[in-house]
This record gives sequence, structure tokens and C-alpha cells, in this order.
Amino acid sequence: MHIKDGFIDPSIALITFAAAIILLVISWKKAKATYTQSFAAILAISSAFVFAAQMINFPLALGTSGHLVGGTFLAMLLGPFAAMISMSIVVVMQAFFFGDGGISTLGANIFNMAITCGLGFLLLKLLTRNVRGIGQFASRVFAASWISVMVGSLAAALEVGFSSVSASVGGVWAVVPTLLGFYAIAGLIEGAVSAALLTSLMRFSPAIMVGFNLIKVKLGVKE
Amino acid sequence: MKKALLALALILVGLAVLLPLASSNPDALDALTANLGLQQQISMWQGIMPGYSIPLVGNNYTSTLISGIGGVLMVVVAGLVVGKVLVVKRP
Repeated sequence: MHIKDGFIDPSIALITFAAAIILLVISWKKAKATYTQSFAAILAISSAFVFAAQMINFPLALGTSGHLVGGTFLAMLLGPFAAMISMSIVVVMQAFFFGDGGISTLGANIFNMAITCGLGFLLLKLLTRNVRGIGQFASRVFAASWISVMVGSLAAALEVGFSSVSASVGGVWAVVPTLLGFYAIAGLIEGAVSAALLTSLMRFSPAIMVGFNLIKVKLGVKE
Repeated sequence: MKKALLALALILVGLAVLLPLASSNPDALDALTANLGLQQQISMWQGIMPGYSIPLVGNNYTSTLISGIGGVLMVVVAGLVVGKVLVVKRP
């Protein structure tokens, strides 16, 4: 989902930079108001996990590959605002140290992947209102992860599709369906892995899951 | 702290085990741009470890693993710094 340099127009790059900065400023203020005790270790470890997970590409269709995004996972672990900060740390590191995603497209990449955190949290909050039991919760995590990946990839597809670089091949009408087709498959793996990881954490260490505790799902998990 | 170190160790072991299984196919977005005939643009910046590799290390797996471990540790440091700055201890 990392857009490289040159694949989006400067105007779209500027708009997405502005959007990413606004998102991060809001996230910073909200997260600062949310946490009263140190959570540096959990922020660091969960960010490291997402970085490592994004290095492992799995095969998709037609000779392509994809990787986990980790937005919903981070949101359940850290809460939506700290999760967006965590995802931004990962994306910035990837761009500056590993050339994964461009510099001019950094705003777009932060925006596209950070919104998967916020959206994943919102969706889970909506979908888990009447949930009882870990099995039901896992199915909601799966759905929230899949949808959030689709929305993040839709944002990426629109940014590339509306840029002049893709005008000669049909622009947004060619880019959006193709990319969403690939990410519909990647989202299934994202959903399955997120559901497995989060339900395991809920069983063994629910107290560390800030996001999960924020949505207050009563699943009978022992604290 | 003990749990955090254990989790970090698990992440690094997981990375070492899963890296050889990782697909070398191009990312969906890269493949899409190539399939649509979009010309590869020149990157402004390749990174210090371009494409998760160490240019001086010949073996692919070793090169990717070293850069991955370096990346994980850099993200941990950045996360610790951001986490410390973010949380103001209140009386």
C-alpha cells in the first residue's frame, strides 16, 4: 500500500500531507489527554510488531503480493489515536531508512494507513455493541480489519487514479477496481491474522489492550 | 519490562523464521502500476537500507534479516521516545 515517489500529483501530495498533519495533531492531542501513565513500552513493541509484519509479503493473485497493514490490531491495543501515531512512526521509518514508500508521498502513505487505525476502531465500536463471547468478537475484528484495509487501499487508489500519471491508462476507473481486487484478498488475510492475534491477547493479557478496554465489550474475559 | 523484552524477542524470532517464506512477488500497488503501463518514476530517496537490504551483504536472507532487525530496533527506540514525550505524568 506504500505509494512511491512520482505516482501522485504534487497537488494531491500537498493535500494528503495537510490531511496527515491534521490527523496527527488531533491524534497527539487526544492521545495526550487519554493516557495518564506511561505506555511507551507497549507503543514501542506494537509499532515494532507492525513494522516486522509489514516486511513479510504474502502471495496474492496474478503474481502479486501484499502485507499486513495492522491498523485494527494497533487500534485495539493502543486506542485509535495512539494507534495512528504508532502507524505514522512505522511509515516514516520505512520511507526514510528503507525507501519503502516515497518522500513526496509520505503524507499520502501516512494518511492511507493511519485511517485504517481510526476506522478499524470505529467499526469495532459499532459492530461489537451486542457481542457476547470471543468467537463473535473475532468475527467482528475480521470484518473491521477487512473493511479498514479496503478503505485505506481505496484512498491510495484514488490518489494514484486522480493523478496525471495514470490518465493515459484510464485513470481512476482503471486503478480503483484493480487495486481493490487485490486488497480484497489481502484484507481477508489481514482479518484472519488480526482476529487470531487479538483474541489470543484478550485471553492472556486483556489489561494491556487500551483500545479494547475503551469500547468496553463484555465478553467475560478475566482481567 | 520483562514482558516487553520477551515480546521483542518473539518479534525478532518471528521475523527470522518467516522471512524466507515471504513472497518475492511485487507488491499489489507496484504490480498495478507496472501492469497498467505506468512508467517507473525515479525515487527522490532510496533509503539507507534500500528495499530492506544491506548493500554490502551478499546473502539475500542475511541482508534482509539484518536490515529488518535494525528497523525493528529503530522503531522500538522511536516508539519509546514518542511514548515518553506523549504522556505527561500528572500528580
